[in-house]
Amino acid sequence: MWLPIMGMIVGIFLGLLTDIRIPEEYSNYLSIAVLAAFDTLFGGIRAHLQNIYDEKVFVSGFFFNILLAASLAFLGVHLGVDLYLAAVFAFGVRLFQNIAVIRRILLTKWSTNQQKAEKK
Amino acid sequence: MDKPKKVSFTLVAVIVGFMIAIQFQTIKKPVERDTRDIWQLREDLLKEKELQSGLLKEIRSNEEKLSAYESKRKQSKEAVLRETLNELKAEAGLTDITGPGIILKVEPVYEDIKLGEPVTATVSPDLLKRLQNELNMYGAKQVSIDGQRVINSTVIRDINKETKIDGHAIKDLPIEIHVVTDSLKNAEKLYNHMQVSKSAEEFFIDNMRLTVSEPKPSVTVPAYENPIRVLNMETAGGEKGGNT
Repeated sequence: MWLPIMGMIVGIFLGLLTDIRIPEEYSNYLSIAVLAAFDTLFGGIRAHLQNIYDEKVFVSGFFFNILLAASLAFLGVHLGVDLYLAAVFAFGVRLFQNIAVIRRILLTKWSTNQQKAEKK
Repeated sequence: MDKPKKVSFTLVAVIVGFMIAIQFQTIKKPVERDTRDIWQLREDLLKEKELQSGLLKEIRSNEEKLSAYESKRKQSKEAVLRETLNELKAEAGLTDITGPGIILKVEPVYEDIKLGEPVTATVSPDLLKRLQNELNMYGAKQVSIDGQRVINSTVIRDINKETKIDGHAIKDLPIEIHVVTDSLKNAEKLYNHMQVSKSAEEFFIDNMRLTVSEPKPSVTVPAYENPIRVLNMETAGGEKGGNT
């Protein structure tokens, strides 16, 4: 469980140290990509907790979601419609749902653990 | 959590972290660009111009102050006193003076020197005094004899059969007498007078020859070296002597 968190910290440090800065007009795409990545990450955690985790689904979903979100934003820019909002909405809703599911699972696990401890 | 799961999670987390960091940096420090239009530029230019004119005003006022101080300093009593002091020093002979003049040379008459006998010719104080008077009469301003400045209180006298000028003994011939005059014209006049002066003959009687150099544009007379002791002089009172 700690390894992914460590990985994220390492990634943040790497990003800050390399001092990479993308042009401002592309920051929209990156923010969407970040959102998609988060969505996939939490989806993966939920799937893991529900024991329906699939390696291929997770990894392919990660990259595919990012690409889809970025291309949607790109399309939106070229059509003159803020299509990236659709991606933000979709990913935002899914993020909340996923987190809610994770929370419930963790809660039930915790309560069952406590009940077990009381029975003993 | 089995191993491949962990690895993929970690990789995804790393990528997510990286993207977050980049996004954070981009939002936090966007590259600054000059997006001012012409009117904003004009406004900024106006501001800078105002600053410039303010600075110029300041510089001018400072320069005015400086020149005011300078003129005050020039007009101050101290400066006047200093100037007077320098003038008086020059007049009293405490400074080196260079100017147009002539150089006189006193040397023994070579025809009179006999082999095996010492040269006995010495300049007597009377002779020197006479020469000095003659020089003064014909326009000499500053005189030095054998490198010794002659000033108002200089005494030329015989002490123990040695001619001394203010304690400086004249023993060996030849000696040089430097004379500075007001102008080259006066130097020429003095030169002409010395050519026909009687003192040359007087020197010859004492077995010495006085040669006068051509007028030179720059002759240096050294400063008086000894301290001047004022014994019998007093400042004149303003009421008594100053007004007459």
